[in-house]
Amino acid sequence: MTLVHNWHLGRRMEYPYFESRPKRQFAAIFNINRCIACQTCTMACKSAWTYNKGQEHMWWNNVETKPYGGYPQSWDVKTLKLIDNGENTWYTNEKDEKLSPYGVYEGDTIFEAASKKNLNQWAVGYIPEDKEWRSPNFGEDVAKSNKPDEHSELPEHSRWFFYIQRLCNHCTYPGCLAACPRKAIYKRKEDGIVLIDQKRCRGYRKCVEQCPYKKPMFRGLTRVSEKCIACYPRIEGKDPLTKGRPMETRCMTACVGQIRLQGFLDDNPKNPVTWLIRHDKLALPLYPQFGTEPNIYYIPPRWAPRAYLRQMFGPGVDEAIEKFMVPSRERLAVMSLFRMAQAIIFEYKIEEGPKVFETVIHGKKFEMFNDTVIGYGEDGQEILRTTVEEPIHIRDPKYLNSI
Amino acid sequence: MKNGIPLFKYGASLLGIVFLSATIYAAEETAPGVKGMSEEEFAPTKEVLAVKYVQADKPYHMDVESLKDRFKDAKGVKVALQKQDKAFPNGGGSVSSAEVKAAHDGTTIYFQISWSDPTKNVRAIAVQEFRDAVALMFPLGAVEITPAEHFSPRMGDREKPVNLWHWKADWEADLVAKGELEDVEAQYPNMHDDFNTNPYSAYYHRDLITSVAVLSGGRAANNLLSQPGRGRTVEDLNAEGFGTLTTQDHQDVNGCSHYEEGTWTVIIYRSLITEDPHDVQFVPGGNSYFNMAVWNGEEKDRNGQKNISTQWHPITLERVAWQ
Repeated sequence: MTLVHNWHLGRRMEYPYFESRPKRQFAAIFNINRCIACQTCTMACKSAWTYNKGQEHMWWNNVETKPYGGYPQSWDVKTLKLIDNGENTWYTNEKDEKLSPYGVYEGDTIFEAASKKNLNQWAVGYIPEDKEWRSPNFGEDVAKSNKPDEHSELPEHSRWFFYIQRLCNHCTYPGCLAACPRKAIYKRKEDGIVLIDQKRCRGYRKCVEQCPYKKPMFRGLTRVSEKCIACYPRIEGKDPLTKGRPMETRCMTACVGQIRLQGFLDDNPKNPVTWLIRHDKLALPLYPQFGTEPNIYYIPPRWAPRAYLRQMFGPGVDEAIEKFMVPSRERLAVMSLFRMAQAIIFEYKIEEGPKVFETVIHGKKFEMFNDTVIGYGEDGQEILRTTVEEPIHIRDPKYLNSI
Repeated sequence: MKNGIPLFKYGASLLGIVFLSATIYAAEETAPGVKGMSEEEFAPTKEVLAVKYVQADKPYHMDVESLKDRFKDAKGVKVALQKQDKAFPNGGGSVSSAEVKAAHDGTTIYFQISWSDPTKNVRAIAVQEFRDAVALMFPLGAVEITPAEHFSPRMGDREKPVNLWHWKADWEADLVAKGELEDVEAQYPNMHDDFNTNPYSAYYHRDLITSVAVLSGGRAANNLLSQPGRGRTVEDLNAEGFGTLTTQDHQDVNGCSHYEEGTWTVIIYRSLITEDPHDVQFVPGGNSYFNMAVWNGEEKDRNGQKNISTQWHPITLERVAWQ
């Protein structure tokens, strides 16, 4: 084991390989508050990559309902039990903006739990059986409630559920990559995408076992495992639509609810993804305590019980919800970029506009400015230009009933 | 001279320290997740597997029953097996021994391996299911294995490659399946299937069917495990240490098996000599070494989770009668 720094945990942790961060990391932000679980993302992925024989059970992208849903069933509860994380043990009194923005996690990661238990493998894990993969929308729309006819009111609903959108997290310290005894799994230096080499894989299912998010899947037909490939041809700009520019994945661009923004985590503070994750801390990692440093980030749902959310997204939840409910001028502008283009935005610029609205939310003053946000591509060229107030187009009465 | 004796004594103890530290070093982790081997493991066993020369023609069907006579006079070697406890992930330990017999007919060499396994696992299509398997391993090239040589009996080592013959119970099932690959319907008989290959059916979708090859992952990448029509039950591989196992481009080994009353009998055979430089070569009158591993699918054995022998076993090939 070597020691690597995991900024989600705010500390160094054990990992079988040395720390080696990609030039830029594939990352995405999902605004849970806006998701309606229409599964358009799920079908966009399915129809692109997993419609083939032997992939019937595979949903590289899926949307499940929390707390009861799970694909595979109860994947998160089962893995949390393996790291004995009944209670969240975080030390949050001291934080470092760069090294420990959420505080310090004091429990065990999946890697540390395995070495503590002397399992003689790299991480704790389990292989979900075929029946556990079979019902991806099991528990959908089922609310948690303590008693019938319960009245719910913000800030926290006592009767609640929310949707969680999941795909491979293309982790910085992937459990699957650590687990593979053949080194058939690799993380690309250029964009941090994690892939299974279909030629080297021998179907041992160690990745299925040791990925805490259960995103590598075994394909009975080919006897080897497969996983989300982050639509890498699109990321490489091979899709003719964006004319060579890096393009967001199928599941991202298909998002009807406009909850998704995909890009790269890099050092540029004016990169919308980097800004929302590292600077604004509005978007949080899913189960950071697993220790893999996942790269899909979530804006937590503001109505759900905080204790549940803290277990799921770490101690940054309260601050993130606070920020989401009363967004700052810059935050509101950056959030207007969600789903405005298919090409990946590498940098944004805000042109100030007039104040259009003012109110008080939870005792805090909120002002809305109709700023213009401009998104730039990898080449520095302008990709899009949008305003905070959504532009309204009124159709000519002549064409009212036509397309 | 007076001074010489203490120096000699000192030298001897120094030498002792060197040896001791070498032993300690060997027992420690040599790479992440890999423990070093003890000195005993580098010495081959005393018992020699004699490959008997049997004058016999190739039977029409290469099955265990037809090849039985070849091992009539062969003296078996009992190989003790244990849990693989050196490289992550550790595992195995459910099969304690196997019996190996060998014979050759001047052109082909046959190894018969039998071991007790109360459960027969011949399919690995469901995510939680694993197959029974057995593998033989041979050092590549003409090598004399001595304790000083440090030729690892566990998957070989860098610059010390090995040739492996890996028999798989599910490959045997694939051989007789339609299209020479058990399809997912074998595991899930009533599953829904979008892939109607009948062009006259209302559900036939040409684009879908023709894209199958491209989106078949392992099959498109020419992974032998994913290929239909392999025509064999034994995979021919090479390795140079843990995690380096690689399928050969040229497959030369085959085998057959029989399962009865909780015992697997597997025969693995290949021509004594091949043209492939990555293959071990057998010369009548010559010798070599082998080591082996057994996987018990019921115990979810696969990769390093296996029952292994920790030492090389010498092999001597009997001369052909007319030589």
